[in-house]
Amino acid sequence: MSSDRCALLSATFWEAGYRHLIETVHQRDARAHRNLDALVIAVHDPDGALLGETSIDPRKEVFDLGTLVEEIAGVVPRVMVSLEARYDERVFPYRPHHYAFLHRPGSDTPPLYYAVNAVLGGVPDRVGATNINNFETYVFRQRPSAARYSILLGNLARFATAEAQVTAYYGSRRGPVEVALAPKSHREIDLPSEREGHRLERVEVKALFRLASYVVGRRADSGDLVLFDHLFTYIK
Amino acid sequence: MLGVRRTPTYYLPWLVRPGLECVLVLNNVESRFKTGFNKGPFAASVVQYDARGTVVGRHDVELADPTATAEVRLDADGAEAGFATVTGARIFSDQYVTLSDGTAYTATHGRQEFIERYPRVVRILLGLAGTLAAAAGRTLPLFVKDQYLYLGASFRSHLLVMNLSNVANRVRLVVTGERGERVERMLKLRPMGSHLLDVSRLGIVAAEATSVIRARFEANAWFNLYVVGAGRKDLEGPLSFMHVK
Repeated sequence: MSSDRCALLSATFWEAGYRHLIETVHQRDARAHRNLDALVIAVHDPDGALLGETSIDPRKEVFDLGTLVEEIAGVVPRVMVSLEARYDERVFPYRPHHYAFLHRPGSDTPPLYYAVNAVLGGVPDRVGATNINNFETYVFRQRPSAARYSILLGNLARFATAEAQVTAYYGSRRGPVEVALAPKSHREIDLPSEREGHRLERVEVKALFRLASYVVGRRADSGDLVLFDHLFTYIK
Repeated sequence: MLGVRRTPTYYLPWLVRPGLECVLVLNNVESRFKTGFNKGPFAASVVQYDARGTVVGRHDVELADPTATAEVRLDADGAEAGFATVTGARIFSDQYVTLSDGTAYTATHGRQEFIERYPRVVRILLGLAGTLAAAAGRTLPLFVKDQYLYLGASFRSHLLVMNLSNVANRVRLVVTGERGERVERMLKLRPMGSHLLDVSRLGIVAAEATSVIRARFEANAWFNLYVVGAGRKDLEGPLSFMHVK
């Protein structure tokens, strides 16, 4: 995988129990689909082991990630899924992100719809591959809520271990966590809602590589996802 | 050529329903590393437009420093939706909109785009042309967007359609179901107005556990969409917002 403009490497995390559908080309008009040449899906366990990979017919508009993971990896609690797409360069600067729909069947919790995290390639200056450092941030509401928060981080590099620092802020207090991710591995880092009487205010992720990163919120009672979204880069 | 001005504008959707609280979380945290822009205080103004395009709320906040946040609750009479703009000369950060059922909240961010402002003569001409096209079930398709919608027994993805211009915006919607059913609707959005499109009222029945519906929007002026996710209780239960490109 190169950082050629015609390529886009994205990643998401699949968990058991959710209906998880991926849109191969978000803007589903005919022109965009003509410009998607290939899409290869690879599934990795938390330690980075490749559980399998497959090609998606680029003419397919939406595919069921749960069915695909089950076919490739069998019954697993959570995996990192990489999406390696090749586009005709005429698609740019069209921002051909994949989008996804996520819902736990039968739940009162509303479905989530999100942009699959683009990690390498894509439109220059939009995906942070050109920066030496990658700083990302996310802020939280201060009113207490019955939810658990975390950060999901994955390293899509082939050969290099990535070190990251995840820092949660609580007023003037902070709780840094150092993470080392082997190639293709991933980890969920819990963010306590409170520390010494102070609410979780924000979280920062710092790394030398662009990582697959999502901020995650789950209802405390059911565990249903209420937040699954990208963080925001400081420097674009 | 037509004298249309595009004013850079940051906006977010809002939606209020009984039992659902809509709160903006304003911040300027991304300014931390912008030399010359990282010293507070930072002033920000929120203008809340309702579905008719009427200003129904104004809020001024001040952020003491780049790591400060301010929460602005957006209220409305009954069930309402629309969008809010955020301005601040030294605000350089994405802002958040949250929907809470009192227990937990969902969140997404706003978009830095623009509001189109048409001169009076062009507004009149567009109105006349739009009326003629509407008589034939059409609009002037100056802007087109495609979006998938999801429909199942225990969930829906509705859409908030926002008119980001100072002209009446006729939006032609063509929806195609999985069985090939085709539904057309014409929406007329007032300047700066919005419309919450209820996907379950389009007459398309879910073919499977999850049906994917293809929607195409054509409009005579700039507009955008936010996906509104609903669970088993549909619009009477907790909801989520999500931006689209």
